[in-house]
Amino acid sequence: MAILCVSLCILLPWIGSIAVWRCGNNHPRLQHAVASVFAVATGIISLLLLLNPSDAPIVRIPMGDFFGELTLVPDGLGIILAIIASVVGSLAVIFSIDYMRGEAQLGRYYALILFFIGAMSGLVLSGSMLLMFFFWEITAFCSYALISFHNDDPKAVAGGVKALIVTQFGGIGLLLGALIIRSYIGSYQIRAFLAAAPTLESGVLSAIGFGFLLAAMAKSAQFPLHTWLPDAMEAPTPVTALIHAATMVNAGVYLLARFYPAFEAVPGWKTSVMLVGLLSALLAALMATRSDDIKRALAYSTISQLGYMIYAIGVGGIFASMFHLLSHAVFKALLFLGAGAVIHAAGTRDMRRMGDLSKGMPVVHATFLIGGLALAGLPLANGFFSKELILETGLLHGPRWALIGMLAGAGLTAWYTLRIYSMTFRGKSSEFRVVHGAPLAIRSALTILAACVLTTWLFAAHFSSLLADSLPYHSIRVTTNISLVSEIISAPVTYVVLLVIVVGGALWLFRDRISKVLRIPAPVMQFLESGYGLEAPYAAVVRITQQASRVLCAAHSGQLNLNVAGISAALCVVLTLLLVGV
Amino acid sequence: MAPSPVNILLVGVAALLGIGIYGLMVSHNLIKLVIALQILVKSALLGVISAGFVRDEIQLAQSLALTVIVADTIVAVIGIALAVQVRRRIGTLDVRDLSKLKG
Amino acid sequence: MDSIAFRWLIAFPLLASPCIYLTGRLGQRMKRNKVAQVVGLASLIAAWIPFLLSTNDYATSGTLLLRLGNISLQMDGLSLLFIGITLVLGTLVTLFSESYMAKEAGQEKFFAMLVAMIGVMIGLACASDLFNLWIWFEAMAVTSYLLVAFYRDQPPSLEAGVKYLVQSAVGSTLVLIGISLVFSQYGDLSLANIRQNATPSPILLAAGGLFVIGFGVKTALVPLHTWLPDAHSQAPSGISAMLSGVVIEAGLIALLRCLSSLSDISSTWGVLLMSFGCLNMLAGNLLALGQKQIKRMFAYSSIAHMGYMLLGLGISYYTNNPNGAQGSFFHLINHGIMKGLAFLAAGALLYALRILLNRHSPLHIEDLAGAARLYPIPALALSVAVLSLGGLPPLAGFTSKWQIFVAGFETKNVAVILLVAFAALNSVLSLAYYTPLVNVLYRNKPSKDVLIGGHIPWSMNLPLIVLTLLIVLLGVWPTLVDGITASAGQALMRGVVDVSSVALP
Repeated sequence: MAILCVSLCILLPWIGSIAVWRCGNNHPRLQHAVASVFAVATGIISLLLLLNPSDAPIVRIPMGDFFGELTLVPDGLGIILAIIASVVGSLAVIFSIDYMRGEAQLGRYYALILFFIGAMSGLVLSGSMLLMFFFWEITAFCSYALISFHNDDPKAVAGGVKALIVTQFGGIGLLLGALIIRSYIGSYQIRAFLAAAPTLESGVLSAIGFGFLLAAMAKSAQFPLHTWLPDAMEAPTPVTALIHAATMVNAGVYLLARFYPAFEAVPGWKTSVMLVGLLSALLAALMATRSDDIKRALAYSTISQLGYMIYAIGVGGIFASMFHLLSHAVFKALLFLGAGAVIHAAGTRDMRRMGDLSKGMPVVHATFLIGGLALAGLPLANGFFSKELILETGLLHGPRWALIGMLAGAGLTAWYTLRIYSMTFRGKSSEFRVVHGAPLAIRSALTILAACVLTTWLFAAHFSSLLADSLPYHSIRVTTNISLVSEIISAPVTYVVLLVIVVGGALWLFRDRISKVLRIPAPVMQFLESGYGLEAPYAAVVRITQQASRVLCAAHSGQLNLNVAGISAALCVVLTLLLVGV
Repeated sequence: MAPSPVNILLVGVAALLGIGIYGLMVSHNLIKLVIALQILVKSALLGVISAGFVRDEIQLAQSLALTVIVADTIVAVIGIALAVQVRRRIGTLDVRDLSKLKG
Repeated sequence: MDSIAFRWLIAFPLLASPCIYLTGRLGQRMKRNKVAQVVGLASLIAAWIPFLLSTNDYATSGTLLLRLGNISLQMDGLSLLFIGITLVLGTLVTLFSESYMAKEAGQEKFFAMLVAMIGVMIGLACASDLFNLWIWFEAMAVTSYLLVAFYRDQPPSLEAGVKYLVQSAVGSTLVLIGISLVFSQYGDLSLANIRQNATPSPILLAAGGLFVIGFGVKTALVPLHTWLPDAHSQAPSGISAMLSGVVIEAGLIALLRCLSSLSDISSTWGVLLMSFGCLNMLAGNLLALGQKQIKRMFAYSSIAHMGYMLLGLGISYYTNNPNGAQGSFFHLINHGIMKGLAFLAAGALLYALRILLNRHSPLHIEDLAGAARLYPIPALALSVAVLSLGGLPPLAGFTSKWQIFVAGFETKNVAVILLVAFAALNSVLSLAYYTPLVNVLYRNKPSKDVLIGGHIPWSMNLPLIVLTLLIVLLGVWPTLVDGITASAGQALMRGVVDVSSVALP
């Protein structure tokens, strides 16, 4: 039974992918229907995984010497992420019924989304590093294909290719790590590696650890490999909600959490992880305060929140990190889908042209507000509990200066959240009139997500025991809901954070008065807005590669005489090398 | 050191090789290129025969050489046929004009 | 082990070739124009029978031997692998070319040459003697000269043919000089005997160097590759597929046979192959990046993929372990299928957008905008081929590259590991030129060329479908060909077997 559930989590969306493709683009309603059925079915099956968690592989496919044994292990970590991928995926597909109505090439769209959902479940359920890398690459491909879904738009294509190249480059870290592990312990199995990690020499372990960190940084868009995520906002919004908020970008966090016990002891690893998280959290939050494109702002917010999760791993709070991952997946998907509804109605992503939409789109407004509460970290939304837990863990186990940075980040989060909310839904009336509220499918998806935002924190206890039982190498402390809530309520840091949040909100509300008093010089603003000058290295790399290509192409003059000269030159070189002795 | 037959042959091979490659690098006329190729092949033939001479296996070397002559004649014929076609369609036998495919 | 099937395998395509020409001419006299194609396709399908029987014989009794007077041929694991991929690609290309070449004059020559080329490559894979190897190699070169310059009315085609002929002939001659050097040391040209008696000496090192450069021209080692982009882009698309898919690999196999016989002399062969591998990967990818013509881009991509194969083989020679070679041979199979599919899919689109309209200009990337809506099968096939070439799972390109990387890491040698990292980076770089092609294909707005394009017949779509399915199959089930690649790797390390010894598995 468990084998069936696990396999179906991956295979059912893939079958659905082929089914939607074969429907043909001449029957869009059929495509919408088939895609929704398969997505929802996958969501339900993924929930069934909760019945049988195990930390031993339940699917094993031997693949010879070079490829090892392909295993699927439904442990707590994997199950939670698979559920997120499948359930949020099904909601994104339902949302797409209305959002993508009338678009061309729907077959490709739904096929890629379903393909992605299966691959994401596969990624987190894999017990073999080869299989994990296999699914990692598939998700990268789906992400690229969906970002550049509107192939006629060169910005979309450029965004897609950039995302692919950056994440693939990071993927090399994962590739090299997996291969090193195979060459030292002879197996790709994650369990085997976690068991054998203390026996590996520290140089080797460091190489693997930092390789994985590189891969995680690229996939989760952390500094300095974050520049692909804002450009990926050219994707259709359900894609952004699913892939770039709730699932694929979590793969990096998942990677670090999964392998944490192996690298705990590597000198400098935990500190590096913490630094990466801290920098991303702060710097991205700053950029979010300046962005006028609603999706870009939310993208920076995603980078920032992922920074929180990674910071949590850096200080040893695996449960806190995963708890926030769950909360964030839900509320960020909600926020993006809400933004999508707004963009769909408004026809623009520019928040300066929006405003006062609260009356025209009541459901969207209410759900967006709930999502915003969670993002800012205000009570009763799941974001409150998970963010508090992270900060508390940071207080107990991490350095003070890092915690102060994260607190500042919380304040900034409140600032930009309030900014996004008020620019979109409050304030002066927008340039257009919203004639009707959002359609049914959109409203249903949003409502379900909002309900989840208000309730997922109630599963904390179950979640922690699930993780503790099925992750033998991580030391997870089991907690009950009551003790969690009381812990949070009684910790003084909670109130400090709430204060910081209120201050952040106030900074936005009184921004006019503050900007009169506090003038930030223009060059600093420019530096900030250009992404801290981090776009320059990318542009340089691209330029150098293209230059090298042009030089080489120019060297091929087509002159036969030169070609023969090349052959004789090569002959002389090779003969010299051989006879003189290399 | 008195030049032994083998050394003379080796020098011959190297000289023909050099002349052939030099011809290929310098000539612009297609027919001259084919001739330079032929010189190159002759150097290889000389090499084969000298090797047979050194190892006292002249019979084998001769059959090898005959086969090579056949093969290389076929190549030369195809080369000249291509040159004829080039002259007909493009109107020139200068290989410098045959550099439209580049990059 | 003497095997009748093996005799027929060698003889059949070579005998069929003149028959195709003759029946084709007769058919033209009688106004039936399809005779050459049908006879060609039939003879290739018929050639599968002795091949499968030979495979069976090989599986039961090991390496097969054949003696014709002084010449001996043998089929070991490496031959089996190469003949297999040649026949697969050859049959599909012949089916594809049936409509592709339908409007051309001289089809009987085309199909006769194609079948002859296939027959000659089968012989090359089975050669156990240096000179015999050279003869098959020359024959393959000659048939390919005629096929590359097939469009003799088109100046670019002639230009490509001339350059290819001159450079290839230089390479063959260098090999011959190397053979004469080896001959002068041992008086015997059997590969097995050379391996047994080889002692380090400058003459043999020089011979090895000449082999590397001589065969290297055909294998497109950088900087000997300059003929390749012209020849592969100007040839008819079926021939481009054959050239990129098996002919340059034939050069590689000839090189490997020679190096295996010399392998005890020096450990530098491995380093040499790995260095050329790096050059090929980097140069191939950088050059492909700058291309706007599709077939030219694929030609440069072949150079890059040859680099991956050389890397794996170099690792094997360096460590005397067949794992790297096994990965490379798997990549050989995969590259034949992937690049063959790429050229055939591009060829199908070239047929629809150019040949049917009697135009001869090359196909540019932008000309294919929106092709997916009107030509779904070639567009999907092209996308699958190209993404597989970029090394994305769940396609075949990923699995063979992975296997090479595993072999590299097993050496635990820092330099080799850095090379593998370099190869992985190159793989990422290659995505930068493959993915824009996929994006262009799936645009909504078709280009002018696509709108006025013609219809693609099923005989062109069928090979595309077959190859696409193969790519996906090998991507999710790489161990399918493990037996073949393992025995090929073993055969490489072991070298050619002595004719008089007992047959080895």
